[in-house]
Amino acid sequence: MNWRAIVAVILLIAGGSLELLSVLGICVMRNAYDRLHYVGLAGFGALLIGVAILVRESFSLIGDKALLVGVMLVLSGPVLVHATMRSFLIREFGDWRKKLHDGEPPEDA
Amino acid sequence: MNEWEITAVVLGFALVPCLTVCVLATPPSALTSLQVAGVLLSTILMLLAEGFHRQPFIDLAVVLAPLAFLGSLTFARLMERNL
Repeated sequence: MNWRAIVAVILLIAGGSLELLSVLGICVMRNAYDRLHYVGLAGFGALLIGVAILVRESFSLIGDKALLVGVMLVLSGPVLVHATMRSFLIREFGDWRKKLHDGEPPEDA
Repeated sequence: MNEWEITAVVLGFALVPCLTVCVLATPPSALTSLQVAGVLLSTILMLLAEGFHRQPFIDLAVVLAPLAFLGSLTFARLMERNL
């Protein structure tokens, strides 16, 4: 087993663990606002797995595309979270500028 | 079965809780779960492409990643109006 395979396996385990952690967060969090935090985390797991493929295959067709997918998922994560949070706030309060909750705990969204 | 295929299977089983939340939880929580499921599916396609050494599978992941993003944005936009 050469060093490329070892680094790839380490990155693969780290990326898979991050994705499993994000699924766990989706399952155990109380409401949609809490669950949204884990969308970005899943993107970073995908990036680590993309880098693992890149380390294993070097800059080939499959390695470049794996890196592209990972970068796309990482960059789209915060945009998605922001847009989704904004739509949830508009849905609940009618305006996204209002505070999420004023002193009272939020109901399950 | 190599390490890529094993990880793909594990992440495939991780889709089950996401789909459960999608079905059972409120619509905003279901949308959040759908977004994570899209990331998981793109990752699984990457892993299968590497595990089977089939390059066309990674093209599916390249297409799925932006489409899942656009689909989630569309759902979020529609959800503003309580549809």
